[in-house]
Amino acid sequence: MPRAPRGSAPSRRPRAAASAPRDTAAARPTEAPARIFDAGNSEVAAPRFRIYIVDSGWNSAAHRVLVENFALIRDLQKDDPIYVLSREQSIEFQRHHGSRIGRDPIIAVHDMEALDQGGTTGFHGFRLVLGLLHTPQQALQGLQAFARFLATHRRSKDLEADIRADLRREGLMGAIEIILHHEAREMGE
Amino acid sequence: MPERFGDILTMVMGALAVGYVVYEIERRRRKLHDIWDVLDEEDALLTEKLEEMVESGELQPYAGATLA
Repeated sequence: MPRAPRGSAPSRRPRAAASAPRDTAAARPTEAPARIFDAGNSEVAAPRFRIYIVDSGWNSAAHRVLVENFALIRDLQKDDPIYVLSREQSIEFQRHHGSRIGRDPIIAVHDMEALDQGGTTGFHGFRLVLGLLHTPQQALQGLQAFARFLATHRRSKDLEADIRADLRREGLMGAIEIILHHEAREMGE
Repeated sequence: MPERFGDILTMVMGALAVGYVVYEIERRRRKLHDIWDVLDEEDALLTEKLEEMVESGELQPYAGATLA
């Protein structure tokens, strides 16, 4: 797996302790809006999201679909940095969080805006547990839904509400389908 | 008597059908939340660890075109 160059630091906001809201006086006495400058010294918007991929490399349909479509995902998400944990890092990660073994690939998206405001104590992003999708078609649909959601909610003022609304809508659709005995949507079965 | 028995049977079958639908909706809701959910305080440790890896430079934005 090719590694990222070490020289280029990620565009990141100044950061206080992750577990606390970033505007605590102790952590940051002089809170200033995050500003990032590009090579031409012109101001550019800081990335809204940080995307993390944890994949220990199970020989699964989800793993293969992720590998095959990663380039496209990366091209679609050019505005946000993607951090890919190496196989060793992913395994180490899962050794410490045993309940997640066998559920990877996992794509975690940190909402930097939410992290800035509330730290990790409340809503701060979302995750797609791709490894729970057992067929290539399910995994591909999950990945496509993920990319679509990121693209369409980039400027959302209340991402948590959007996600919960989507989940409710999916749940309602599922209920209707059950009642109609329609088994087309077998995602995750 | 047969009419009463039929009524009871209909009620039992109806209750079973409703129970099944409720169970199935709940099962799918849980499954959906397992696959796709928000990160909140339960995920705080994981989030902090990942953010620390970025801040320390252990993790860098992926520059490769493809995953191997």
